[in-house]
Amino acid sequence: MSDLLANKEAAVQAVVEWMTKKAGNKTKFYFNDFSKIFPDDKPRDIKKVVNKMVEEEILEYWSSGSTTMYGLKGSGIQHSSEGEE
Amino acid sequence: MAFISTGYNPAKPMENRITDIGPKDYNDFYPPVIAKNKGKWSHHEILEPGVLVHVGDSGDELYTVRVGGARIMSTGHINEICDIADKHCNGYVRFTTRNNIEFMVDSKDKVEPLKNDLKSRKFAGGSFKFPIGGTGAGVTNIVHTQGWIHCHTPATDASGTVKAAMDVLFSDFQDMRLPAQLRVSMACCLNMCGAVHCSDIAILGYHRKPPMLDHEYLDKVCEIPLAISACPTAAIKPAKVKLADGKEVKSVEVKNERCMYCGNCYTMCPSMPLADADGDGIVLMAGGKVSNRISAPKFSKVVVAFLPNEMPRWPSMTATIKRMVDAYAKGANKYERMGDWADRIGWEKFFDACEIEFTHHLIDDFRQQAYMSWRQTTQFKF
Amino acid sequence: MAKHKTPLLDQLESGPWPSFVSDLKAQAEKRAKNVEGVEFQIPQDCIADLLGVVELSYKHGRTHWKHGGIVGVFGYGGGVIGRYCDQPKLFPGVEHFHTMRVNQPAGKYYTTDYLRSLTKLWDLRGSGVFNMHGATGDIILLGTTTPQLEEVFWTLTHDMGQDLGGSGSNLRTPADCLGQSRCEYACYDTNALVYFLTNQYQDELHRPAFPYKFKFKLDGCPNCCVASIARSDMSFIGTWRDDIRIDQDAVNKYVENAAGYPANAGAFRGSRDWGKFDLEKEVLGLCPTKCMMFKNKKLSIDNANCTRCMHCINVMPRALKIGKDTGLSILVGAKAPILDGAQMGSLLVPFVEVNPGNDYEAITQVIENVWDWWMEEGKNRERLGELIMRQGFQKLLEVTGIEAMPQHVSYPRTNPYIFWKEDEVEGGWERDVDEYRKHHLR
Repeated sequence: MSDLLANKEAAVQAVVEWMTKKAGNKTKFYFNDFSKIFPDDKPRDIKKVVNKMVEEEILEYWSSGSTTMYGLKGSGIQHSSEGEE
Repeated sequence: MAFISTGYNPAKPMENRITDIGPKDYNDFYPPVIAKNKGKWSHHEILEPGVLVHVGDSGDELYTVRVGGARIMSTGHINEICDIADKHCNGYVRFTTRNNIEFMVDSKDKVEPLKNDLKSRKFAGGSFKFPIGGTGAGVTNIVHTQGWIHCHTPATDASGTVKAAMDVLFSDFQDMRLPAQLRVSMACCLNMCGAVHCSDIAILGYHRKPPMLDHEYLDKVCEIPLAISACPTAAIKPAKVKLADGKEVKSVEVKNERCMYCGNCYTMCPSMPLADADGDGIVLMAGGKVSNRISAPKFSKVVVAFLPNEMPRWPSMTATIKRMVDAYAKGANKYERMGDWADRIGWEKFFDACEIEFTHHLIDDFRQQAYMSWRQTTQFKF
Repeated sequence: MAKHKTPLLDQLESGPWPSFVSDLKAQAEKRAKNVEGVEFQIPQDCIADLLGVVELSYKHGRTHWKHGGIVGVFGYGGGVIGRYCDQPKLFPGVEHFHTMRVNQPAGKYYTTDYLRSLTKLWDLRGSGVFNMHGATGDIILLGTTTPQLEEVFWTLTHDMGQDLGGSGSNLRTPADCLGQSRCEYACYDTNALVYFLTNQYQDELHRPAFPYKFKFKLDGCPNCCVASIARSDMSFIGTWRDDIRIDQDAVNKYVENAAGYPANAGAFRGSRDWGKFDLEKEVLGLCPTKCMMFKNKKLSIDNANCTRCMHCINVMPRALKIGKDTGLSILVGAKAPILDGAQMGSLLVPFVEVNPGNDYEAITQVIENVWDWWMEEGKNRERLGELIMRQGFQKLLEVTGIEAMPQHVSYPRTNPYIFWKEDEVEGGWERDVDEYRKHHLR
């Protein structure tokens, strides 16, 4: 596991920063996108941190039914366009 | 009505939360005779359409009465199933992969009362609640998807097309006159939540028009990059569009000739609706199977490129299906599945026998596999 | 008096097949009367409105539902599908009408106690309408509002010991045939294995981290009643590698058309008379490998040439039984046509033991090797079958550590364009051009 991923606080911060930086463009990301933040880590290890971030209400899922994406909680316009505010 | 809380606290979602417990243990749901004879069944026999007996090495007998059902069912209907199972089957019942319901009893004398009870129950509109059948060399229940009952991208209804088709095929649900079993499946769009691509007959909803673009709202309710990346054929790109009032808005542009009408963009973006009364309808496929019996599993082939949606009973569709089933019943050898029959006589004869017109749309032009389906021999029939 | 007139749907009440319209109408009436005094947690007239919106679709030829991706239960990425009506003013009862997937029990056996607890819950907190079952296998609870999702989940987990199924980019709810519980053809206990795998991979099922959906389906024998070979990324199909067991007396009973020995276990007991059973024609003649003989009232099978297609066993289940050295074959990559075309499962492991004693180690090892590869290499929304096409079947063998064997192919490649790896070629690819030029002039 990389030093970045092993340090939970730093890992969380890296994810939040990366997503915030991209937020002007889009707010939902595939799981594979996390490998851009943690290029040297195994998906299973990345998943542990991402799961934790969902549990801590930093991230949330968005599901198309067939696929699932991740975003910062409350970001994007889906909450209002789906009437779930 | 007042909100009744279970104890869940939205402010603390993890409090007393139970997760990852999986399904119920099947052992708790086995009827005793199943639990006792599991792994030690000697053989089975279909006594008549819809009625089976399984015989254990122990000599125990288990009689099963199989009935059809609409896949969509209410609590009222399920409670009635429970009443029947309580009355006849000691409170056990099972469902099959193809949406049939199976009532099991442990002795022969319990079969007739059960059958009579099942036959006597009808819906207010006159249809059977629990028609007995769906076994052996006949037509069993149609597996299907949601359609207009609940889906956002269907090109037709599922429950309605299935009801219409099963009414037409009903005698074959209660008979076993066919050369082999005949599996009909239904999926309401090309995404095929119900994988119908290996069925003897497949009913498939199909769109034929690219999405409409609600430019004025698109950027307000959708994330444009998501809509773009949702497209499997890369037909969508960002665009600036001038509205009628001269205002310029961010939106998307669709390369219509690349669109395969899958509706994935509509899933991501409600401003790209796809459904259309004229564009949408039915594709019929035939000749697929999943069993490894005699021949290898095979894909269904498109035999009718398009039929319009004819609500509420889709008569062109059901008539075509009926012709296929009857031609198959007449032409195929015993044990021969529909696709094996078509392969044996040649697909050119299949179209003759089923009185289906062959059109240019039925020649594959989708990616590399298309070549495999063209005829690379001088052997063919006139 | 019905809330909405449904003249088109009404035409689907006639005819013999069970009418979903009649059932829904009865349900609408049941909710309106509410004899049991249920404190409905979602609009009482939701089914009346559901009939109304479906009728409108029958009139328009178009759906009136929109997708929603936000809703779910906390911490799970699957199991809930958001649905909203696009005519909420006309049909307020179904304005928010989400689906929940509930993980079905193995073999789909139920007790009525369990089913009644489910109907009670769903009358209280949802529409009271189900799919029994969804295409993947789940019990589908059709239609509830957002605040009820957590409440339903709470009751399921706390009071019923029951979890949700999968949706999205995760392991979908595994499904099986009834297997050895009631079928003499089953080569392994599908119910036990599906239950084990579902529990073993709960994290994969609830917390999506795959490139796309992933399906397990388990068939007890090559008859493939759950169609695993066509519709699961990984299909587990029962098989055996010793001899088909023959009861010669029973074979002759079939030959004699004796009572209790009908061809194909009675599957042809319909209105058509196929005449007397003919062993030569119906069994030996249809055997795909012609590996059977019947001489002097004795049936013999050249088992080394049998491909276990099940035909003879299906035709004479009292005479022929599957072998005793049973296990399963693993096939991978099946999928429906979207996008690059349909794929059938391809054989990866011809035979593996099914051993609950060591937690099915031989099977989980293959699963996890495949997942590690697909999670690393799979593109977004790329099914396993498509990754195998893109990177090659040889790559799949490499990542799973499985030796290539002729069973892996129907026939060997028809082109010689083999991409040799450098270490497979003697001396490697670095060569001395000067040495070459000593013998070959420029």
